[in-house]
Amino acid sequence: MTMATILTENVGLDFPIYGMQRSLRRALFQSATGGFINKKDLQHRHVTVTALTGLSFQLSDGDRLALVGHNGAGKSSLLKVLAGIYYPTSGQVWVDGKITSLFELTLGIDSEDTGYETIVTAGMLHGMTQSEIESKIPEIEQFSELGEYLSLPVRTYSMGMTTRLGFSLATVFEPEILLLDEGIGAGDARFTDRASARLHELAKKSAILVLASHSDDLIRSICNKAALMNSGRLVKIGPVDEILSEYHIEKARSEPRATAG
Amino acid sequence: MTVSSPSVNGDPKIADAKSRGHLRLLVITASEDLLDGLRRYDLWGRVGFLDIKRRYRRTTIGPFWATISLAIFTAVMSSIGVGLWKQEPAEYMPFLASGMMVWLMLSTMITEGGNMFISSQHLNRMRMDYSILAYALAWRNLVSFFHNLAVYLVIVAIFLPKLITPTILLVIPGLVLVAVNAVWVALLLGMICVRFRDVQQLIATVLQISLFVTPVFWPPHLLTGLTRLVFVDLNPLFAFINVVREPLLGKTPSLWSYLVILVVTLVGWIATFKVFSRYRKRIAFWV
Repeated sequence: MTMATILTENVGLDFPIYGMQRSLRRALFQSATGGFINKKDLQHRHVTVTALTGLSFQLSDGDRLALVGHNGAGKSSLLKVLAGIYYPTSGQVWVDGKITSLFELTLGIDSEDTGYETIVTAGMLHGMTQSEIESKIPEIEQFSELGEYLSLPVRTYSMGMTTRLGFSLATVFEPEILLLDEGIGAGDARFTDRASARLHELAKKSAILVLASHSDDLIRSICNKAALMNSGRLVKIGPVDEILSEYHIEKARSEPRATAG
Repeated sequence: MTVSSPSVNGDPKIADAKSRGHLRLLVITASEDLLDGLRRYDLWGRVGFLDIKRRYRRTTIGPFWATISLAIFTAVMSSIGVGLWKQEPAEYMPFLASGMMVWLMLSTMITEGGNMFISSQHLNRMRMDYSILAYALAWRNLVSFFHNLAVYLVIVAIFLPKLITPTILLVIPGLVLVAVNAVWVALLLGMICVRFRDVQQLIATVLQISLFVTPVFWPPHLLTGLTRLVFVDLNPLFAFINVVREPLLGKTPSLWSYLVILVVTLVGWIATFKVFSRYRKRIAFWV
């Protein structure tokens, strides 16, 4: 039996922004997309964007958490902190369990590599040996249904094909904690039925799932918890329906203002 | 508005898991990165190999293009060098060819080191030991060097067999020293260049000049006095060229070159380890 846990204690993340032009800085400051811009000194030498502030929550086995919030609310930043890609600038993240993250469509190191090369490289990057991942290739071939395409460079794949390859890979990694970003294609119109089926299967296999998505349907069908984020803060964590309706009320309130500004 | 689930701090289950070491912090230290990365030789070997393969994909003779361009360069340049510095062609041509081979390896390692994190956008998509990139870089440049070396040895064995003596085995420690230093150079320059993007341009400029002030085209004994001290004796690039080139010419590298390399290796690794320890976790923000 797997026992997975994610525990965040007062996690904050400040992004340093380098080489920003004055005009861009002003544009960012006025944007309504969320995040706070801090000017630490008058010369604007150190500009940071506060992506996350004071996040504390805990997830354990069976939790399937959806992150909701408008663009810039901090969903992707939180996923990257949970994946260990960004280190929080304050607070701590404790984890028990093997983490697999699927964030963007380029899975290996270079999209010039063929599907087969990408499978092996990605597997090894996730800690498998070459023979371990090679023994999984038949399973991936079958699961991804990509056939001959696996001998072609990944850059020639359509969005749906890459997504299927990504999910097939993630399945054989047997993640205990699975982190998914909407960037992977989940929830957008191009997301095919078959890729969606893969996602459900994958979600079933992992002990904890954290998914950032804008698709209510996807969230309702997969997740059993939701967290509403706004400007890098965790506003509320709770049942999916409750959080989603709260999110839509908030969205309706803020949208007229956003279009006016 | 911060919501913290009430169970977090006082939860006995969590405290218990922490104390039993089940829960781990998501931090990779510099030494973990370097050692775990080194242990994944299967991975960096593969990454380095794929890098070479990608570069020459859809070409017919692949990596041997580098060898051919080197051969043409040597043929043309040696006619000038022989006239300029009154050299014997039979001595000058292998000197130039072997020197350029090593120079190409060193300068490519330095250039690619500066570019290592800048060109690694995948760093932002997954958690990995960054040192794997540096090991892969050193490895693929050694492989490229071996392509040139094989051709060099065949040509020398046919035309100048007297150059091939048991001393040639000293090439092996020379290359080991190059590789050991390539890793820190790649990590250090990689970090500096990804944070301060101007440095990459600076490195290109410095390397361009170095090719002319380092004894690659011209024999080191032509210089005397202070200029010799600066551009030959204290020039670390010359030391690295020397410990690989001399064995290829049937000579033993000077002890001085090994001493210079020893100092460079120690100082370089200590500095790199300090910078890497301090800034490793910032690299993802800089990419």
